[in-house]
Amino acid sequence: MQLARRLAGGPLWIVPLALGILLILVPYFNLEYSIVRQLQLAMILSLLVSGLNLSLGFAGELALGQVAMYAAGAYTAGLLSKNGHTDILLQLAAAGLAALLVGVLTGIPGLRLGSWSLAMTSFFLVLLLPDVIAIFKEDTGGRNGLTGILSPTMFGRMLTPEDYFMVIAVVTVAWFAVMRNIAVSRHGTALRVLKQSPVLAASMGINVFRMKLMAYALGAVPAGLAGALFASLDLYISPEAFGFTVATTILAASVLGGSASVYGAVFGAFVLQFGLNQSTDFQKYSLVVTGAFLIIGGVLLTGGLSGLARALWRKLAAGQPAAAPADRSDPDASAGDEVPAVPGKVLKVEGVAKAFGGNQALKGVDLTATPGRVTALIGPNGSGKTTLLNMICGFYRTDAGVIALDERQLQRMGPDQVARTGVARTFQTPNIPEGITVREAVMAGRYAGHRATVLEAVLRLPRYRKVRKGDLAEADRVLDLVGIRHLEDAEATALPLGQRRLLEVARCLIGNPGVLLLDETASGLDEDEVERLAEVIRRVRDAGGTVVLVEHNFQLVLSLADEIVALAHGELMAKGTPEEIQNNERVMSEYLGIDPDAPASPHVVLADVLTDGAQDGVGR
Amino acid sequence: MTLIWGGLSLGAIYAIVAIGYNIVFISSKTFNFAHAQLTMVGAFVAYTGLVTWDLPVLVVVLMAAAAVAVIAAIEERIAIRPVGDMHNILVTTLGASILLDGIAQLTWGTQPLTVPFFAGDEAFTLLGGRAYPVELFLIAMAVLIVVALGIYSRRSLTGLALLGMAEDREAALLRGVNVRRMAFMAFVAAGALAGFVGMFVGSKTFAVSTLGAALALKGFVVLAIGGFGSMPGTLVGGTLVGLAEAYASRYLGGEYANLAVFLILITILMVRPAGLFVRTKERVV
Repeated sequence: MQLARRLAGGPLWIVPLALGILLILVPYFNLEYSIVRQLQLAMILSLLVSGLNLSLGFAGELALGQVAMYAAGAYTAGLLSKNGHTDILLQLAAAGLAALLVGVLTGIPGLRLGSWSLAMTSFFLVLLLPDVIAIFKEDTGGRNGLTGILSPTMFGRMLTPEDYFMVIAVVTVAWFAVMRNIAVSRHGTALRVLKQSPVLAASMGINVFRMKLMAYALGAVPAGLAGALFASLDLYISPEAFGFTVATTILAASVLGGSASVYGAVFGAFVLQFGLNQSTDFQKYSLVVTGAFLIIGGVLLTGGLSGLARALWRKLAAGQPAAAPADRSDPDASAGDEVPAVPGKVLKVEGVAKAFGGNQALKGVDLTATPGRVTALIGPNGSGKTTLLNMICGFYRTDAGVIALDERQLQRMGPDQVARTGVARTFQTPNIPEGITVREAVMAGRYAGHRATVLEAVLRLPRYRKVRKGDLAEADRVLDLVGIRHLEDAEATALPLGQRRLLEVARCLIGNPGVLLLDETASGLDEDEVERLAEVIRRVRDAGGTVVLVEHNFQLVLSLADEIVALAHGELMAKGTPEEIQNNERVMSEYLGIDPDAPASPHVVLADVLTDGAQDGVGR
Repeated sequence: MTLIWGGLSLGAIYAIVAIGYNIVFISSKTFNFAHAQLTMVGAFVAYTGLVTWDLPVLVVVLMAAAAVAVIAAIEERIAIRPVGDMHNILVTTLGASILLDGIAQLTWGTQPLTVPFFAGDEAFTLLGGRAYPVELFLIAMAVLIVVALGIYSRRSLTGLALLGMAEDREAALLRGVNVRRMAFMAFVAAGALAGFVGMFVGSKTFAVSTLGAALALKGFVVLAIGGFGSMPGTLVGGTLVGLAEAYASRYLGGEYANLAVFLILITILMVRPAGLFVRTKERVV
């Protein structure tokens, strides 16, 4: 307990680093040959598993073609060696590139259709492998395997088996350092956002396709490295080493260790290599065991062994739940004395029309939202509010009309492009990725606007550090603005609804959006929460932000909006100041359900409705 | 023409696998990775019934259909129903397919087994090419299944309910359709179909434990060509894949057969990712 607590206080990467150094030094321990060999194979397997994790665990795309990239790396290295290029560094570089190429070429078509098609396209590669090897029989030796691979060298020096063990260990440790740096960087967070919801990712300006391709193709690199290491380990490779069984073993190890973790790959690979593959009976039952395991693992072990370990660790280290207390009124939070400017832009919607089949959802709607003002969009269910919102965000194509932010027309852009132009939105049901802190969730809002490449993140280059510093500072700023900074280390999904809404607002604000779209942001909140939210919206407005509020809570709309646009049946019903809308007969009868000709004075009835409807919105 | 008969009948097998994928997809929007393995098990059961136990054809067909339907039911209960997340369903049904591969290997070995066809295996000349009875039977069966399912889904209440579910699960639920039960029944029905056709598939391809993986992939390509959920699309896709495979292995060599199919898959995904017969739907937030 004591030790765990102290360790948890220090930098956590020390533990894996120490283990890694231990692994590199294994040749000095005089272990038995068979154990050394198993260790080598386990390290190679863990590289393969780690590559899969990047795709399956982080980007949420099942890929089964790891074996093909492994083979691409192995044959590249093997052929190089056969032709006299025995330097292992050269082989590693070439193998990594070859695998990356396979990854990019198969990822582009495979990712067009989403989950099944990538799984199948990459699975197909495994089936193709023996054929391709057979086609180039002259070079690859076909089914008989590739012989004549020369012993590896480094800088012209022959490597002893001990040296070679260290090469494998160093490559493995280096890759896991890379993987860890990706996982904890903004790219890791962005991948979690993507896995949570592609819609969310796109609305934050992340190009979904490119991001998935990045994860999948990058996952090919360790597989290629593993291939090169394997080729020079046995100095012989044949198609048999790259069959379906290996493909499924990789998947099983990934699920066992926890696909969404960095070091889970090592766990899973070592357990499978040392545990199951040892017994000779296992060969016979391997398919049955792997299959059963994948079913059980898929159903029960969502986080894999590393998930269990993490939960246990948290218990040991903290002794109390990790989620922060739901302290609703933090006195320091409302430090709203000096609110930095939020430079808004003019959002202009002109004559926008949209039909879904025969259903004309919108017919020529106009709307203008200007900086420093809150523009509310109201209307009965089915009047086209959400459709309009989705069209502004680029999720639907317009049939006619113009949507522009300042001078830039948005209606032809995809959602991620619209977001990068400066449109930020929240969702009816807060959309927040699992497993990240409030601060990380907010920082993700800057991912698309302030770029740092994966390479810069891996190597921690100055630009990455600069962007990261900006991320942290800006996160503090916007969390202060919405008043939940004291929760920044809490797990984002553990927050109560009201604070998750505020978190979404903060995530939008961090990107300095030209316009902020709030989709039914008060629904489900209690009065205090609504009041806090209203306060935040006012602050954003006063700071010069452009706010569009889609809302059912009529009282909130009346108190906040500078201008109200009312829709009905996809058309503009009314437009004006809160007073004008409140007294508009059509709005009263069609939206609020009040008959203006009824004997009772409409204002009395309206007041009744408002009191009733304060909680859950009028007009439901 | 001999080549065409061979190609078309192969294509028919792939189309039948794709039909199975489709039934499950339409009813529950999930993808059963193990469907091809169900067909493979059907072929093995047929072998046991016909060769080992020497039972009459009709009994064996029913036996295979029933046995595989039960396996499908078990699969649904342990590998699909308890899983919440879509990503995990891919993993668990893949697990089921590997499990079935393994069980088949342990039970029936790794050697290909010949499943006899009830109408004999005498080749005869048709339209200027040599064809086997089983080949024509497979082609006819694929077409018949598609036509029958088309009629069934439009005429029967169950079929209409299924289409409704495919369109909008929640709306169907609100209309009183027992969505879970329907999805389960469709899954079992797809299993029964796989078991039923297993005998004839086995007659063409042999019953062998590596059959599943190849069928699964080719069936998927057929689906990608026709589009998810399109039944007539499976016939077009099957024809294309079967002929491509037959021609590639005849004129380029056996090792090019899979490559040709893979190229078709890549092309279709790049040019028309939703398939030829399905209109692209707009995304909904």
